[in-house]
Amino acid sequence: MIDLITDIFVRFAKRWKNNFIFVGEISSLLFETLKCTFSSPFYFSRMMEQINLIGYGSTIITIVIGLTMGLVMTLNFGYGLAKFGGTLYVPAVVSLSLAREMAPLFTSLLVAGRVGSGIAAEIGAMNVTQQIDAIRALGTSPVRVLVVPRFWALIISLPLLSALSFAVGILGGMVVCKNEFDIPNGFYLYKVFSTVKFHDYMSGLVKSAVFGGIITLFACYKGLKTRDGTKGVGLTTTWVVVTASILILVTDFFISKIFLVIW
Amino acid sequence: MSDVLLEVKNVHKSFGHNQVHQGVNFNLKKGESLGLLGGSGTGKSVLLRSIIGLEHIDSGEISFHHQRIDQLSENEIAPFRTKISYSFQSGALFDSVNVFENIAYPLFEHTTLTYKQIEERVSQMLKLIDLEGKESLMPSDLSGGMQKRVGMARAMILNPEIILYDEPTAGLDPANTLNVVSLMGKLKKTGVSSIFVTHDIPSAVMLCDRIIVLHKGKIIFNDTPIAFQNSEDPLIRKFITNKDTI
Repeated sequence: MIDLITDIFVRFAKRWKNNFIFVGEISSLLFETLKCTFSSPFYFSRMMEQINLIGYGSTIITIVIGLTMGLVMTLNFGYGLAKFGGTLYVPAVVSLSLAREMAPLFTSLLVAGRVGSGIAAEIGAMNVTQQIDAIRALGTSPVRVLVVPRFWALIISLPLLSALSFAVGILGGMVVCKNEFDIPNGFYLYKVFSTVKFHDYMSGLVKSAVFGGIITLFACYKGLKTRDGTKGVGLTTTWVVVTASILILVTDFFISKIFLVIW
Repeated sequence: MSDVLLEVKNVHKSFGHNQVHQGVNFNLKKGESLGLLGGSGTGKSVLLRSIIGLEHIDSGEISFHHQRIDQLSENEIAPFRTKISYSFQSGALFDSVNVFENIAYPLFEHTTLTYKQIEERVSQMLKLIDLEGKESLMPSDLSGGMQKRVGMARAMILNPEIILYDEPTAGLDPANTLNVVSLMGKLKKTGVSSIFVTHDIPSAVMLCDRIIVLHKGKIIFNDTPIAFQNSEDPLIRKFITNKDTI
């Protein structure tokens, strides 16, 4: 009996120890990333290349999801609120939901799947083929060369993608409002811009930037830790998509709470 | 004493319960080529990785120009990695960029040369490795032997004082082995020191000034290639005749 309790205790302690190590390593990577950002050399051209790859490369998919969100939300809110005679509130409800939550959240989840897995797979594959060791052996830092450009590229790109998603969603909502509920475009846009305030836009943009940081940091961390060849790369990408998605959802709650309390 | 470039003193290294090095001692002089031989799993590559700081040793000392480099942090050891370069067994080329960008990478990172000067330098290097005109090829377009030569070119582009070769002839056909060995010979003539980890005894004997044999975590032989070939030590004889069995 004592052996069993000891065994459970040891396993529990090991698990917690690993969790602490994980948090420590992620914090250390964040610290190193920030340190490399504010010391030379900063690879501006590599950051721009990443903005092109992961930011510009995600525009089509962002437009599709933004438009779909706008169409579906407006349709559902429209018919739902019509039962209570509240059709005229649809533009306000849709625009507020899109600006504060739906556009940043869905865009980030989508980017976590598309870009997070891509970064993790790329860095993971580099790791198992000794390319990361080669970067180190040539007197350069993998964090400076690989992590920093991706980190800032996504922190810059994701808010822009969220803004695009919001804009396209609003357009989608306008089409549905006009065709399904006879709400004039002018009234729709007036309600949108009078309802959504500066802090609502800021809430969405700040969330997107934080989510961008989370996606890159976890993707790079896991990529740099990848072992066991191609099998390891596969496991890494799965882990990154799942972990980043969960963290985005959890962080979303706390940032929402902070913004609601502050503003 | 002053011509000693690299000194490895009483190095111990283990992975879990596996004690890879149990007090390894040797030094490398200026212009010298050292062949590091031993059976599979005796820690030859680990020793090279420890020298360049890709692995941390448990105890002992590694000094370059009489300055300890084994306790340096990643940032502190970076400048030494331009003086001690490492040629990976697989080549470890950056697969998303072409041959030119692979070879030019250290120049872009550590020098203030103009693009034109870098182009000239890379072009000279490609001539040296017999790959002229292959600048725009991607690593996936190259054969194994070519990849190794490009990896070696990248390792020596900054004119390091020491080059660490990790099994440069492993897995190559005789023609490619000859190409790689010939390239190493050319580099040796330039006066660069090297440590050559290999299972390829004829190449080691041909290229090296001194042979070291690792066995069970310790150095059991450290002498000239002639002494190595004429050694009466049963372990060395066994290694020469039946390579990987010691």
